[in-house]
Amino acid sequence: MSQSYNSIKPNVIDDEMLQKAVEERWPEDIGKLAKSEGIDFKDVTELQLSFRNILQIDNLWQFENLTKLQLDNNIIEKIEALESLVHLVWLDLSFNNIEVIEGLDTLVKLQDLSLYNNRISKIEHMDTLQELQIFSIGKNNLTALEDVVYLRRFKKLRTLNLTGNPFCEEEQYVLFVVAHIPDLVYLDFKLVSDTTRELAVSKYHYLIDPLEHEEAQALAQLEEKLAKQKELEYHKTAFVEYLNGSFLFDSLYAEDTEAAKLAYLPGVDDLLQAYRKDFVSVCENLFNYGLKEYEKREAEVSEFYKGLHEALTANQQEGRKIILDFENRNKERLDEIHHATSYNIAESKRAEYNEDILQLSETLMTLEMQTVDQLEELIKDFEKNIAVIASTFIENVKGMMAQCRDLENRHHEKLLEISINTLEKSVKNELDEDLPDDVRELLVDKTTLVNMVNTSHNVHLLKIDMRECDILSNTYRWQASVTGKAFQNEIDRNRNRVKEIFQYIDNLQEQLDSIELLEPPE
Amino acid sequence: MEVLEENDEEEQREEELMKALEISDEPHNIETKLSVDQVFVPSDVSDFDWSSIDISQLPSSYKTNSPREKKLLRIADHYLQQYTHLCPDRKPLFLYPVNECGIKKFVSTTVRPTLLPYTELYHWDGCASFVCDYLTMEPLKSPLIPPSLLYSPTTILKYQRGNCFDFSVLLCSMLIGAGYDAYCVNGYATHDICSLDETLEVCPLLRKPQEVPKEIMKKSNKYRVKSSPDMQSKFELQQEAKKKAETEATHKNEERGEEKVTEVEKPTHDPLYGLRVHAWVLVLSGKREVPEPFFINPFTGNSHSTMDEHFLGIESVWNHKNYWVNMQDCRNGCKDLIFDLGDTVRWEIMLSETDKPLQVLLDAEEENELFDRNMDDTEEEEEDTSFAMPPSWVAPIQISPREFETRCSQGKKVILYKKAKLEKWAPYLNRNGLVKRLTVYADLGCTEVVEVREWFKNREDMLDMRELNKQTQLTTEYFSPGHLLGLKVHIYKSMEPETERVMEFYNEARVDGLQKRAENASEIKEYFVGRDDFKYFQHTEFGKRGKKISVAGARTDINSRPIVQMKECFHRNLEKPADEDVAERVFLITEEMIHLTYHLKDKYITASKKDFFKPTENYRKQSEIMTPEMCITYQAGSSVKDKKLLHLYKLLQELAEEEKQLKQQVRQSEAEVLNILKIRENEEADIKLTVSIYNTERNEKRKQQYEATNAMEDEFPVHEEQDLDYLAPFLIQIGHPEKMTKGQVLRLRDDCLTDFKNRLIAKANIIQARFEKEVEELKKKNQQFQENQSQLSREEEAVFLADYSETMFCIHIVALRLNREKQTAPQKYLALEEKLRKDPRLAVHLSHA
Repeated sequence: MSQSYNSIKPNVIDDEMLQKAVEERWPEDIGKLAKSEGIDFKDVTELQLSFRNILQIDNLWQFENLTKLQLDNNIIEKIEALESLVHLVWLDLSFNNIEVIEGLDTLVKLQDLSLYNNRISKIEHMDTLQELQIFSIGKNNLTALEDVVYLRRFKKLRTLNLTGNPFCEEEQYVLFVVAHIPDLVYLDFKLVSDTTRELAVSKYHYLIDPLEHEEAQALAQLEEKLAKQKELEYHKTAFVEYLNGSFLFDSLYAEDTEAAKLAYLPGVDDLLQAYRKDFVSVCENLFNYGLKEYEKREAEVSEFYKGLHEALTANQQEGRKIILDFENRNKERLDEIHHATSYNIAESKRAEYNEDILQLSETLMTLEMQTVDQLEELIKDFEKNIAVIASTFIENVKGMMAQCRDLENRHHEKLLEISINTLEKSVKNELDEDLPDDVRELLVDKTTLVNMVNTSHNVHLLKIDMRECDILSNTYRWQASVTGKAFQNEIDRNRNRVKEIFQYIDNLQEQLDSIELLEPPE
Repeated sequence: MEVLEENDEEEQREEELMKALEISDEPHNIETKLSVDQVFVPSDVSDFDWSSIDISQLPSSYKTNSPREKKLLRIADHYLQQYTHLCPDRKPLFLYPVNECGIKKFVSTTVRPTLLPYTELYHWDGCASFVCDYLTMEPLKSPLIPPSLLYSPTTILKYQRGNCFDFSVLLCSMLIGAGYDAYCVNGYATHDICSLDETLEVCPLLRKPQEVPKEIMKKSNKYRVKSSPDMQSKFELQQEAKKKAETEATHKNEERGEEKVTEVEKPTHDPLYGLRVHAWVLVLSGKREVPEPFFINPFTGNSHSTMDEHFLGIESVWNHKNYWVNMQDCRNGCKDLIFDLGDTVRWEIMLSETDKPLQVLLDAEEENELFDRNMDDTEEEEEDTSFAMPPSWVAPIQISPREFETRCSQGKKVILYKKAKLEKWAPYLNRNGLVKRLTVYADLGCTEVVEVREWFKNREDMLDMRELNKQTQLTTEYFSPGHLLGLKVHIYKSMEPETERVMEFYNEARVDGLQKRAENASEIKEYFVGRDDFKYFQHTEFGKRGKKISVAGARTDINSRPIVQMKECFHRNLEKPADEDVAERVFLITEEMIHLTYHLKDKYITASKKDFFKPTENYRKQSEIMTPEMCITYQAGSSVKDKKLLHLYKLLQELAEEEKQLKQQVRQSEAEVLNILKIRENEEADIKLTVSIYNTERNEKRKQQYEATNAMEDEFPVHEEQDLDYLAPFLIQIGHPEKMTKGQVLRLRDDCLTDFKNRLIAKANIIQARFEKEVEELKKKNQQFQENQSQLSREEEAVFLADYSETMFCIHIVALRLNREKQTAPQKYLALEEKLRKDPRLAVHLSHA
């Protein structure tokens, strides 16, 4: 092996080689045509680079649309530079000198992967290849039979080739593999019989069952997580995330160290509980209202787009009808002009046709103008409605937030009262309860205490303001984006349509002009 | 005495049946008769002499009255007296007419509820159509009074004729048997109904199904485009509308004139209107999911609403249990009648307590069951305080399958409708499977045929119906699924190929999804459904034959028409972008052009297009295989003509290939049409009828087979034991010698016997082992139970007990088998020895021994 390795001159993938490889695949006539036009590597879907002594994969990034790539029988040592070939379905890297599986993460469409006859000692780094159906990794250095368990994640894997690896010597090799990959149809070029499968299951169920259990659990967890995320996403689009429950209330006290200390004062705990209850219920109200408003907004938007779609379809049909009418009328026109017996007739016919084309252009443009007017009105209506919805929502949110603030104010007053009472008691040494030392320290000076309570109060108010601000700004942003999108869509549509009409008319004119007329009689 | 009589009855009935079979067993006779009385004339039929019928063989219940029946007659008499006293100006009731034996029988006892073993007869319309088809109608002796005679349904069935009362009683018997709440009605109807004159009715087959106006749910959207202002002159529109109205008015006038003509044809006023006696059947709601009461006219088998204006009044109704007299005013016909028989003011009941109001559903059913149980048991008496209706005196109604199938009195029936004639035949009567023919005429005199529709049954070519329109000369044939190549409908003028025709197919049954193929001399249009390539339409135009044959130089299709143009249309394939998804593909063969039109992109109004000009032969020889001039492209929405020649060339190549295939396909469809025409011609020339394999009577082959197998089984009773050759394995061991020495024979015998012995022992051992195992298990379980008894919950204990009893059962069974084995083993051994002794191969030597 090393001898032959030395005697071969390693090659690099360069333009010339690629050009040649591409050309090889074409039949002669197409090849000629292609050559004269120049080859665009973007159009190539299959490439064969076998037996070329390639040492390093390189320069393949241009082949964006490649689906089949053969790099077998080279001396490649590392899988690299394949990241951009994301459409690859079939990759053949057999008979190379690869030692590690790597660099395949972006090839998510891969169905058929061959790493036969390499120097790989571990199956790894393939988690993203969920489409894999055929996998060949025979004649490698795989020693640990447990590696096969890795292949369980490929749900579509049906054909597997592992022959010629060291672990194939092991006695229970086949049964182990079949037991761990239950959907396998072909193993090492042979059909997996039902009896083998049963045997494998009965032998290894003690291994498989916990595995399956684990996988099921992981799946369930993942699903749960996804569901939660989805719900949160939904709440976010309704602008009321984290308002169902005590999240906001908890956040008020999260960074408030003073409040924690104050909580030790007698009577504060009860007060806090009551406050919390009221606050959460207001939040809940806000949350439910937000969801309801969200549905309303969605309904409004979808209704608008439905109406818009109807209008556009009607418009499309109308336009189509005009064009079809025109085309049917003028089917034979060009031929007539072409075969006209005399120049004069031809010329007059041509003028007539020209007139017709202008007429068509006129009609289409009028139709378009009309549509623009209609749609503008439609969109303005929509804008108005959206504005109304947004403003009511904002009003109500503001109202509910004001409730929160009121609660906070009231709580603050009561807290202040308790604090001062406690202070007085403490001064008079009438305090019965045992308080922690740092709390006791507070009860020394009235200003300190009041300041503390005030700071806590300010922090809370700030938090509430911030949350309100969030909701409001989100709502404004939504309003702007929805209406903006509607307008932008309409502008784009209008431009496209006008462009289309011009192009079509130009095309007709061109066709007419391209007809060679008889020479005008001199 | 009783028993003897009953036996006699049985015999008599059998004889009757035999006779009936004999009659219907002569199909030739029937056919000759058919040709004679082609047209059914109701008035001719009354020449049948009822007095000549044979009453000698009827059961005794027909000839005498039981004590209860006598009592019933007395009650009826009493009731009648009261009734005449109360309502002196009403007609006498139809209570106890005389039966065929001259015995007075109460009408309710003439109803004999029977459920016949035919699925068709489980439903009321099946019963009604059977009765009206099976019986021949006779008018009443006097149209103004009910008949004095009422024959039993069995007699009516036997002679297949009767008046409206006979029809009603038979139908009512069948309906009650089938579980309906049905009643015979004695009342008054119009002349048309009474005399079975349907010439003024539109044939039910011609009635158009009422179109249910579809409710279009249209939610108005708030976002709607305001339509552009209407610039049309209102005045002009008005003027136009006026003109239109005027022309329409004149049209209408003309039509009215026509209507007048038709009205003239209506009959003049009937002098006996409202007096004509008729009998029909009333079905009340409640049972068998009948939503509301309705009438059945037994002559036609049609259902009528109780509001129908043809029914003019009701005197009385009865079923097998009771008799009600209508006390409601019938001045407005039956429109205002209320059919709540429990209402004693409106309906005067005869046997008051026997029947609770039938509105109470459950009760009625129970009673029905009770009745059913008592039905055959004529002697059982229910001596209640109230008098119950005695069971029917009529023998059970029986209809043989042959009679049921033959239906109409001679296998044929003709009904005349307004401008139409309907003929019906029994299946298999006509050689071509014809069962129904409807002829539609243009005039009331039935002279000018407009349309002929024929229905077929049991045809091997699956032909279901043929429609011949005399005006357009179009023939339409409808096929049931299963015809060759999935043919569904075939519309044609002549069977000549390449003429105008339309063939529809069961596209589900075809690989190519062809649904319809319309053809005429110069084109073929094909419609497809559900194809993978989204093609839904293909249109091929042909040129004149023979014109270009020499040029085309195609030797294979000298006789076929040259193709001029082929057009294909495709549905949108959502997997492709719209401007790469071809919507229409036209191959202009003579002009060597290909037009491609693509689907519309979203919101676009112009479709992308490509026009290819195919390179001519000499052009191709040049080095350039593709030039920009060969393809004119219009790409909607993008001004860049980006497509490279290479792609275009590839596309062109593909198209050329497709064109070739398409041509072939067109030729194939032409061939298919020819093939179908040929097949159809053959089928029509030699019509075959299919016979179900379950129909042993008709399926001769099957019958023979069946009989043959029966005979076989009789002749050769199967002896499995004989088939087993005990000696075979041992003979193989010594290599099948032709002749065996005595020593060999003896050894053979001994081998065989020891082997058998071993087997018996082994068998016994197996059973023994199983027995021991079960016992062991039982012991173990018992022990376990004893140990844990204190800790066991009640449920566990129950489980154990169940288990225990099961095991005990097993042990018992195994023990029994062991015992039997022990007893029979020696006998078996001896039997084998005996058999071996008699075996011809060994006999020579063993007999000496």
